Amino acid sequence: MSAEDDPLICAVCGQHHQRVHLKPGEKAECLRCDTVLARGRWMGPEAPLVFAVTGIILAVPACLLPFITAGKLGDKRVSLLFTGVGALWDNGMRTLSMLVLFMGGIVPIGLLVTLVLLLAPPPSRRCVLDPRELARVAAWLERWAIPEVQVLAILVALLKLGSLVDVELGPGFWCYCAMTLSLIFALCGVEKQRLPDGQAILTPEHPK
Amino acid sequence: MKRRWFTLESSGNTTAAALGLAAAVMLVPANLLPVLTTATSGNDRDDTILSGVIELWRRNLAPIAIIVFTASIVIPFAKLVGLAWLLFSTRNGPPRDPCLPTRIYNALDFIGRWSMLDVFLAAFLTGLVEFGQFATVEARSGIVAFAAAVILTVLATAAFDPATLWHAPNRTTPGPASP
Repeated sequence: MSAEDDPLICAVCGQHHQRVHLKPGEKAECLRCDTVLARGRWMGPEAPLVFAVTGIILAVPACLLPFITAGKLGDKRVSLLFTGVGALWDNGMRTLSMLVLFMGGIVPIGLLVTLVLLLAPPPSRRCVLDPRELARVAAWLERWAIPEVQVLAILVALLKLGSLVDVELGPGFWCYCAMTLSLIFALCGVEKQRLPDGQAILTPEHPK
Repeated sequence: MKRRWFTLESSGNTTAAALGLAAAVMLVPANLLPVLTTATSGNDRDDTILSGVIELWRRNLAPIAIIVFTASIVIPFAKLVGLAWLLFSTRNGPPRDPCLPTRIYNALDFIGRWSMLDVFLAAFLTGLVEFGQFATVEARSGIVAFAAAVILTVLATAAFDPATLWHAPNRTTPGPASP
């Protein structure tokens, strides 16, 4: 059975749909529950993979380069992406620090890697994992990857700090923002579906 | 035999109900205990989630106060109310008109993640503002309870099976393939 013959199953209500071709900007909604099933893409079929690879590349400087520099009365302090995680750990809030580390760093990067494995064309996919398993892992990671919330939290923190300390955004912060955008764009090129057993999966978009 | 007033056994969403209940319990200490302590030149200030919002509002940072209020107070409570309504509407099988509950489920699934804003905020401020006696920010126990409440609400939404809004559990997916 070809990809076009695969039914598109609504992730919410489980309704089966036949695939149709979508023009850029068009969206396909579930006939039964109105959930958006797919959107006509503006970019080429390789764009999600390109965005996922870009995100992985950007994750390296985002983790290693200075994130924010804070100054108070001549004393300067440079913090990295996970400096807050270390501070929470030192405060004895170890579970919370692990949660922040996972949701703001490890899970988004893990999702990018999973998307690359999922979206890579089969001849170049050097992966022994079953694509269906990858799709399940991607759907699970997508629920917990929230770098965009971390970006908003940092912007709120900067405004909240106000006159308390002088702050300066570093290159690590901008790389993290770009990585977040890359992840969002890469996710635009995948479909959230539901398997007959009720499990959610993320699959590469098929031609419709 | 006496009929039970409320049962979820028929809908199969007992896990979602249990997690939602646990989240509701955790929201109490999350909103009563301080989440951050700010010390500047000898002045210590403990802030709960709500007092932090009020402080932002007083400092003429109304848009930020609204964002934090929405993410940290409105969304967690809205999620719990919405989830309770979904559980109630599926207690005796699918509701008559499942379209509105389905939209609510989609909305709950989308907004849940934004509640983590305050947790990231606390982690970031704790790591950044460490200037000894001049200025320090320290996370407090309230933020742990808040993070637990948020995670439990996300898990509760994930445990809720939206298909129960459309058909009874343990039934194969119905409906003809449609164009």
